[in-house]
Parts: sequence; structure tokens; C-alpha cells
Amino acid sequence: MDVQAMTTNDWLGVFFALVAAIGMVVTYVMVFRPSNKQNFEAQSRMALDDEDPIKLGDKR
Amino acid sequence: MEANQATPVKYDMEVVRWFTIAAAIYACVGTLIGVYVASELAWPFLNFDLEWITFGRLRPLHTNAVIFAFGGCALMATGFYIVQRTGATKLWSNGLAWATFIGWNLIIVSAVITLPLGWTSGKEYAELEWPIDIAIAVVWLMYGFNYIMTIGIRKTSHIYVSNWFTMGMIVMITYLHVVNSMAIPVSMTNSFSIYSGVQDAMIQWWWGHNAVGFYLTGGFLAIMYYFVPKQAGRPVFSYRLSVLHFWALTFGYVWLGAHHLQYTALPDWTGSLGAAVSLAMIIPSWGGAMNGMMTLSGAWDRLRTDYILRFLVVALAFYAMSTFEGPVMSIKTVNALSHYTDWTVGHVHSGALGWMAMVAYGAIYHMIKKLWGVEKMYSEGLVNVHFWLATIGTVVYVVAMWVSGIMQGLMWRDYDEYGTLTYTFVESVSAMHPYYAMRAIGGLIFNIGTWIALYNIVMTVRTASSARSASAVPANA
Repeated sequence: MDVQAMTTNDWLGVFFALVAAIGMVVTYVMVFRPSNKQNFEAQSRMALDDEDPIKLGDKR
Repeated sequence: MEANQATPVKYDMEVVRWFTIAAAIYACVGTLIGVYVASELAWPFLNFDLEWITFGRLRPLHTNAVIFAFGGCALMATGFYIVQRTGATKLWSNGLAWATFIGWNLIIVSAVITLPLGWTSGKEYAELEWPIDIAIAVVWLMYGFNYIMTIGIRKTSHIYVSNWFTMGMIVMITYLHVVNSMAIPVSMTNSFSIYSGVQDAMIQWWWGHNAVGFYLTGGFLAIMYYFVPKQAGRPVFSYRLSVLHFWALTFGYVWLGAHHLQYTALPDWTGSLGAAVSLAMIIPSWGGAMNGMMTLSGAWDRLRTDYILRFLVVALAFYAMSTFEGPVMSIKTVNALSHYTDWTVGHVHSGALGWMAMVAYGAIYHMIKKLWGVEKMYSEGLVNVHFWLATIGTVVYVVAMWVSGIMQGLMWRDYDEYGTLTYTFVESVSAMHPYYAMRAIGGLIFNIGTWIALYNIVMTVRTASSARSASAVPANA
């Protein structure tokens, strides 16, 4: 690899690629860490918990 | 979600109702234009020598109508619905939401006027000229600002995964639209991109594929993660997988655009990188599709009677299929056959009709019942008829384009023993005719389904309104 030939755009690309890669690793570790399982899965019913009838606030 | 159970929340749902009805109307109109342009390819006399209705002018009107009018209204309706319901709060600004509705529809009207007149920037899926591009940016930011501020005033501690997908879409589409639309205006109806040559192509497909990734995939995954559990009455199979799905799409999708430019002036490694990341994206995409499917564990029997759930599940099947087909098509050896053929058109429509439209209709039917406070649609049977028309229409369309595309690719690159092309281009066009007719018929079948859906929705709304009026009379008397 010719480091001397790297332009600002090339370095920016390297930076963002590394940020994305590290970000993915951090996400995987966070999501699959056993101690976090309960916290995450506790949210799985969130969509089901809003069963109250819809009351319109902007009309009537 | 304890907050909304303790004190009933008054939601700002009138604007959601309007976005929902608008989406149902635009689906009819957008796919009807699609059927017409498909028919023009099969029977060119349908141009009637009128420049305003030629394929080149109506095709962008079709794509803008289905993506931004139907898809946009469906995304804004579901976005405003989900953010209020999962946040147990009304919108940060109801007025701004109405301004968004009016602005978005004015943009659609401007597209209807300008595209048939041939006023276009010539960039695929970004054809509208610069004054309208500025309007899109302003209205989109209004939507995004209102959405994020509503997240800010939520009464729940957690931000549900659907909201993350929508926020990802809002941020990325703002960035993509502004960068891709940068142009030097020469008049109110004409402009030139600030990029040139292969850079213009790269920026164009960076926008093009990320519009697919963050708008047609991410935005509609927000719908899936809320409405599949809701309609199935089951919690999300794995919430952890949904979080991983979101971040993997967000980190990964932005690298894919270059796979649209294999075998062009773009450096070879760029297309290879696009293809490699495309293949990697099968993992989160299938993980997400399986997560949606497995949410039905223990409730599969409901598919026999719940026609709305059928829309959502078949949408997931098409999502899985499209997200496998796309990466395969990006591989250079496959791309050498598929590129510039109708196979691409078939792939796009298995995603647009099978995934996007199906999941949107699942959400629309669900919301119509909730928003108008009815137990059932006017005709559950018609929902089933719509489901089968949509499914059969999509399959007919996609199969026609698969066969047509692969045949096209094979004919174009077939050499005889002397090293000359076996077929002329016009011979390949002629061979396509039966499949173009079949495509138009598939599209027509899908389009008939959208009109049936609109009739069913209108009748449901009318019946609900009549019932409410009737119950209000004795109360007022």
C-alpha cells in the first residue's frame, strides 16, 4: 500500500470504514452479552402494550 | 408503556387518517400509470404520438407516484402513528404535521405537472427539478424534526425499534437527497448536476441504492416491527435481533451503491466492494425476515382467518427473497448477464410490490380499523380478494420479467462460430413481446386489487362515520 499517495478523501474513507467496523463489533458485543438479554427482551412486548382506544386530540 | 394506561392519551391522529387515505389513493393512481407504461412497451401505439404520455415521460411519473406518493404517505402515516402509540404521547406539533401533509401533496402535484412536460434532471428516482428538490428537502426536514421532537417528549423510557428505523431513514434520506440533488440551475425548469462523468454515476447510485436501503427497506421495516406483532398479537420473536438488524443495515447499506456500476468506468474494486458488502447484507436481512416470521410462532393458525396478517407475512417472504436476489445479482458473473435487462425490473418489483406494497397495505388495513374505531373492515372478504390479486399480480409480473430478462441477457451475448453476435438487438426486442404483455397483465391484476382496497377502505370509513353519527343523535337529543 502506498501510504504517501493517500489523499484526504482516502483517509476519510478509511476513518469511516473503521468507525463502521468498530461500531458493528460494539453492537454485537452489547446485544449478545448475556447480562443484557433481559433488558433487551423486556421491550419485545412494547408494541402490544398500547391497546388503549385511540382518542383523537386534534379534532372533536 | 405504563403511562398511556394510567391516563388516556389524546393523539393527533386526524393527520394520520389523511395520510392513510392519501396512500390508498396514490397506490391506485401510481400503479395504474405503471400498467399504462408497461402496456406502451408491449403495444407502442398507446403513445398516440403525444409527447406528454410517452414512456420516457410517464415512467418517472409512475416511479415517483408509487415511491414518493404512495410509499411516502404510507411511511408518514405509519411513522406518525407508531411514534405516538409507542411513545404514549401526541405529536410535538400537530400544525407542523399538517404542513408536512400539505407540502408533501403539493410536491406530488408539482411532479404530476412537470414530469409529463419533460422538465426533469434526468437522474433516476430523483427526476424532479431543483425548485421541487428544495421543497422536498424543506418538507422532509419538517417531518423529521417533528418526528424526532415527538421522540423527545415521549412518556416511555425506551425508544421502540420501529422508531429507530424511521429515524435512520429520516437522517439518511436528508443527507442522500441533498447531496445527490446538488445542481447548477440555468432556469426554473432546467439545471445541471454539479458532478460529472463517473462521479455523477457514483453519486447517483449511492443515492439510488440507499433510497432502497433506508426508505424502501428501513422505513418499511419500521412498519413490519410494529404491525406484525400488533396484528399477530405476539411479542417480537427476538428484540435483540431487531436491534442488530437495525445497526447492521445502518452500517452496511451505505456501501452497496457501486454494485449498480459493474463493468463501467468506475474503478473495478469499487464494484467488487459493493458486491461483497451486498452479500454480507444477506445475514441481517434474513435475520430480520426470520425475526418477523418467527413472531408468528404459536399464531400460525391465524393466517387462515386473518387476511391482514397474510399481507404482512407474504411481505416478509418477498423481503427475504428480494434481499437474497439482489446480492446475487450484484456478483460480477451474474451481473454480466443481468445488468441492463428486465431481470433488474423484475427484482425491483418483487421488492416494491411484494415487500413494500404488501407490508404497507397490512399496516393501512390495521390502522383504518384502529383510527375509525371499528372491529372489522367493511368487507373482510374483499381484503382476501385484494390479497390474492396482489399476490398473483406480483408473481405474474416478476416471473415475466425473470424469463424476459434472462432471455435478453443470453441473446445479447450469444456469439456464432464466426465470433459475431447471433441476434440483432431488435430481435431481442421482438422476443420480449409476450413477456411485456404478461407484465402488463400482472400489473393490471395488482392494480385492480388496489381499487378494491380503496373501495373497501372508503366504505369502512363511511360505515364508521354513519355509525358514529347515529350514536351521537340520541346523546345530543
